[in-house]
Amino acid sequence: MTDTESLEEYLAFIRHQDRETGSFLEIAVRPGAAGAAGATGDPAEHPAGESPEGSPPPPPRLPLPLAVKDNIAVRGYRLTCGSSMLENLVSPYTATAVERLERAGARVVGKTNLDEFGMGSATENTPLGRTVNPWNHDFVAGGSSGGSAAAVAQQLVPVALGSDTGGSIRQPAAFCGVYGLKPTYGTVSRYGLVAYASSLEVIGVLGADIGTVARTYRLMSGVDGMDHSSVDPPPDGGSPDPVRTVGVLRGDLGLTPEVARNYAETEQVLQARGYRIKPVELTTLEYVVPAYYTIATAEASANLARYNGVRYGYRPDYAENPEELVRKARSEAFGREVKLRILLGTYVLRSGFQDQYYTQAQKIRTLIRRELEQIYREVDVILMPVFPTQAFPRADAEGAPAFARLDEFQQKVADRFTCTANLAALPALTVPTGLARGLPLGMQLMGPAFSEERLFAVAEDLAREMPIQFPRSSISWPEWRAAGGGS
Amino acid sequence: MDSLELRTTADMAMLDLDDSGLAELEDAVSRVLEYFTTMAAIDVKNVEPTTHALITGNRTRRDQPASLALADDVLEQAADLEDRLISIPNVL
Repeated sequence: MTDTESLEEYLAFIRHQDRETGSFLEIAVRPGAAGAAGATGDPAEHPAGESPEGSPPPPPRLPLPLAVKDNIAVRGYRLTCGSSMLENLVSPYTATAVERLERAGARVVGKTNLDEFGMGSATENTPLGRTVNPWNHDFVAGGSSGGSAAAVAQQLVPVALGSDTGGSIRQPAAFCGVYGLKPTYGTVSRYGLVAYASSLEVIGVLGADIGTVARTYRLMSGVDGMDHSSVDPPPDGGSPDPVRTVGVLRGDLGLTPEVARNYAETEQVLQARGYRIKPVELTTLEYVVPAYYTIATAEASANLARYNGVRYGYRPDYAENPEELVRKARSEAFGREVKLRILLGTYVLRSGFQDQYYTQAQKIRTLIRRELEQIYREVDVILMPVFPTQAFPRADAEGAPAFARLDEFQQKVADRFTCTANLAALPALTVPTGLARGLPLGMQLMGPAFSEERLFAVAEDLAREMPIQFPRSSISWPEWRAAGGGS
Repeated sequence: MDSLELRTTADMAMLDLDDSGLAELEDAVSRVLEYFTTMAAIDVKNVEPTTHALITGNRTRRDQPASLALADDVLEQAADLEDRLISIPNVL
């Protein structure tokens, strides 16, 4: 995947296969996109495969094409965040996570679609592109990393980066039937990830096989001087022991029959493979979503205050004075969901309301952490649903059944199984667990901080009984080439 | 949240919403805020708030001058430049 001819062929493959799915906002390989263009002579800043001082280059450890969610910076590519506000912004630098993967041999082949600034569950909250579920185009790909999930499911790329603030990697991974890792907060540098909710969000990986997801995570993780919250994961993942006990939730979880049945089947598979199953109770579960959205919108209102039409991004045609410039820029360029979250966040931070909302949510966050610490004394990981439903119909899909639709409020409430990991900063991994009604199913494994390796091990075990499947409409790159490249 | 509160909040957030925009968002904001009030049911007496689940300290760079190699690239993104200065409408 290094010579120009192959790259051009590969990009043609993506363009052709992505016509209906719409995973990508930009499909390109840019000469200046690899690393930071050798700005300082640091070997880390040279394109993969080149040696700064004539020494033989190390063999690439991730010689794969890589798709990157369009809220993660890659020098020379646009960085739209799915927003009219940043539609024409070209990133002047590369995120640390991407730079580390490029250094290991990965080649960025494009930027994937998302909900505006990562705010949404369907990749529908964006004016810049339309992404559908590769398994059934009447259904959503999930969100906000829907483009990355659809690209992997459609076999356009073996691995893609996403970001996860409240489930934005795991939910689309489940909807599209691929693996999706939300790492422990801080293990992957956020430098180059456009800020939405800084205390919750992480860069993570979506992939077609668990080994590639694990390798990608290992290569991009570790402390980074550009992110004060970054940390080195301990070498043994916090525990040298293999996973033996898996916690499961009991009772009415509000799941559709298909998801409930699949949850039970996945538990049975684990049990058959020798894991001890232990029921656990998350008493804080019903408070997770309001606490999450209170904190996320509060942080969003502060983080998105930087978009004012002055230094970069959308600028209105005319403004009488600086204040009108700022107001017009924000009012004309932000989409509805972004405005809604900014309004909510501004409100919960207002003097007089802070204790009732924001501080209360932060205290609930403490209770969630404590409860999980207690649970992880008894089990090694927790097996949980990702979302109460499978992929739901697109808003503009006329033929889809009305009972399966979720309005914007229901979509938020349905985040209850994913937000927990973000509030507690824990790693969680979506694994594909089958199909029902022609759409994928996925479950998540959530472990204590730094337990990624243990999650990978359980996922590998599950993959033996529940292997990943791809939609019939998809075709892999080798198959495409063997078939004559679409000609 | 009533219209006046919403208008005040939008003003603080530097968002101009016309009447139809306000009406459209009023229901959505109110529905979520009402949902937020369910948090009052849980007992948080003597519980410390968590701002960051894993960060225990603050790490800072060394306090010394450095040059920003990206300055030219950053300036290229500005909508209106005069030499190396970003133009905005007149203040007065």
